[in-house]
Amino acid sequence: MSSLRTLWVVWTKELRDGKRDRRAIFSLLIGVVLTPAIFGGMFTVMAGREKNAQEIKLPVAGAQNAPAFVDWLKQQSGVEIVPAPADPEQAVRDRIEDVVLVIDKDFSKDIARAIPAPVKLISDSTRDTARPKVARVRSLVTLYSSQMAALRLIARGVAPSIALPIRVEELEVSSAQQRLATLLGILPLTLVLAALTGGMQIAIDTTAGERERGSLEPLLLSPVPRVVLAAGKWLAAATFGCGSVLFSMLLTVNVLRRVPWQDMGIRFRVTDGELMSLLALLLPLVFLLSAVVMFASTFARSFKEAQGYIGVLILLPMVPGLISTLYPLSNRPWLAPIPILGQYALAADVLGGKPPAASFYVLAGVTTLACALALLALISQLLKREAIIFGR
Amino acid sequence: MIEIQGLRKKFGEVEAVRDVSFSAFDGTVVGLLGPNGAGKTTTLRMLSGLMRPDAGTIRVDNADVVADPIGAQTHMGLLPDSRGLYPRLTPVEHIEYFGRLHGIDGDALTTQVKALMERLGLNELANRRVSGFSQGERTKVALARALVHRPRNVILDEPTNGLDVMSTRAMRDLIRGLRRDGCCVLFSSHIMQEVSALCDRIVVIAQGKVVADGTPDELRSLTGRDNLEDAFVALSGLEVEEIS
Repeated sequence: MSSLRTLWVVWTKELRDGKRDRRAIFSLLIGVVLTPAIFGGMFTVMAGREKNAQEIKLPVAGAQNAPAFVDWLKQQSGVEIVPAPADPEQAVRDRIEDVVLVIDKDFSKDIARAIPAPVKLISDSTRDTARPKVARVRSLVTLYSSQMAALRLIARGVAPSIALPIRVEELEVSSAQQRLATLLGILPLTLVLAALTGGMQIAIDTTAGERERGSLEPLLLSPVPRVVLAAGKWLAAATFGCGSVLFSMLLTVNVLRRVPWQDMGIRFRVTDGELMSLLALLLPLVFLLSAVVMFASTFARSFKEAQGYIGVLILLPMVPGLISTLYPLSNRPWLAPIPILGQYALAADVLGGKPPAASFYVLAGVTTLACALALLALISQLLKREAIIFGR
Repeated sequence: MIEIQGLRKKFGEVEAVRDVSFSAFDGTVVGLLGPNGAGKTTTLRMLSGLMRPDAGTIRVDNADVVADPIGAQTHMGLLPDSRGLYPRLTPVEHIEYFGRLHGIDGDALTTQVKALMERLGLNELANRRVSGFSQGERTKVALARALVHRPRNVILDEPTNGLDVMSTRAMRDLIRGLRRDGCCVLFSSHIMQEVSALCDRIVVIAQGKVVADGTPDELRSLTGRDNLEDAFVALSGLEVEEIS
């Protein structure tokens, strides 16, 4: 009973101490705010680009040479014909225009004589942003051309299908919602990073920082079992980690809800239930990550040295996140008992609209917490080492 | 009451403490005197229960430090070599934290904090964060947190290190006050005046061994030197040829 009270004493002291570390909290906030801001911006740009390709302003030079063709273009949805700049090539080179269509002055004459009528499509293939628009214009020209071809064949009494030996049928199997799930893969990654960075400052400050300041020896002179001290510090770090995950989730979801997904043909939908499922997955992970950081920092004599270790460690939760973008981890709930990887796998299923059974959450939570407790026991042992108590 | 018998500690090949035995009784001040590197801090670390001796026994008020360090720590108040504080906490918060770690809470804690602030002259600094404190002020806070549980045995590792004249005087007054209260005070020092001004008994350590143990007068007569500093030098085996 008194151990529990002492645990509370250590926990609240470290929370108060951590709360007063303005600089640490500021850098934590920046990290938590920046990630969703970057992704939100990225998605908005992506959506904007797709919208760009749908609704294009197409500069046409020599429109008077092909009135029928230009009329046809104007009738296509989302296409607006505008006058071309005086020097189209230079305008594209200078990135004033993404694409310019130049119609030859003999266009109508060539059409009438049924010889290929030249049009020039001026674009810059090094410009990624212009690519969807260029592709759209090219497909419009091709479409007009094949329609003309069909009309000519019909006029000559030939079935147009004769000129079409192969017909390609495209079958897109991924639904828009699945595409969304892939994009949402960043959500677990963001949250895992928030879990790691949230408790990091306290985890380092209460171990390596305590050694650096020379306050570890006086602390260990108190008649308190090492495991109680370690657990109090760990809980304080995890408290900050949980706060950071919650804050990051609210922020990220709110940012994602403001992305114009409809421009990408996607209906954004993350339910509160799914968010709760993600929390149920991630909160146990916070406790493990806090313990991992504490364990590594206990070996460090100073804050700086600890940050060196953590720099490598931060890759640990990132690797499965990055792997999951290459090899989807969905539909693999049996990964659940492997900490970090399991959370990513289950999170992918949650976001993919195929929530795993409750037992998988329990499995992931139990093994993750068990690893955290094992690390806590190791930290308590480390705090008995003379090299760590007195080594400064 | 502190009883140390046959203490030994080796670090690799170096024998930091070879044979240290002495006792310190309640109501007395015992000085642990020795040159730098004599083994004073190592001895005190073993006494504190944080370092395990290779051999020997340590008892504090009948608690066995080696077997039950946590039990023994409740009887001891220690000002160790490292006096790190938490820069973002105030002196009051420091004392309260350590009081609670010792299981003191409520009115008892409030009273004790007040008494310590008064006794150490920390009242003006009570609610300021310690990050900007001077060496003397920091030592006072470190001392207050070591005394919060009213230990019967007070152990101070070079308590006046880095203190100015006024703070040194305050420290001496405090040590005398602890003796008046019936505490057993053990402190280490390499400064002669301090030891002679305060101690009822002096234990001289050199090269990890106790080389003398007695009252200041006994040490003077033992070495045949009138001056305690000469006696110390003679005992430490540090005497080099007189400068001719």
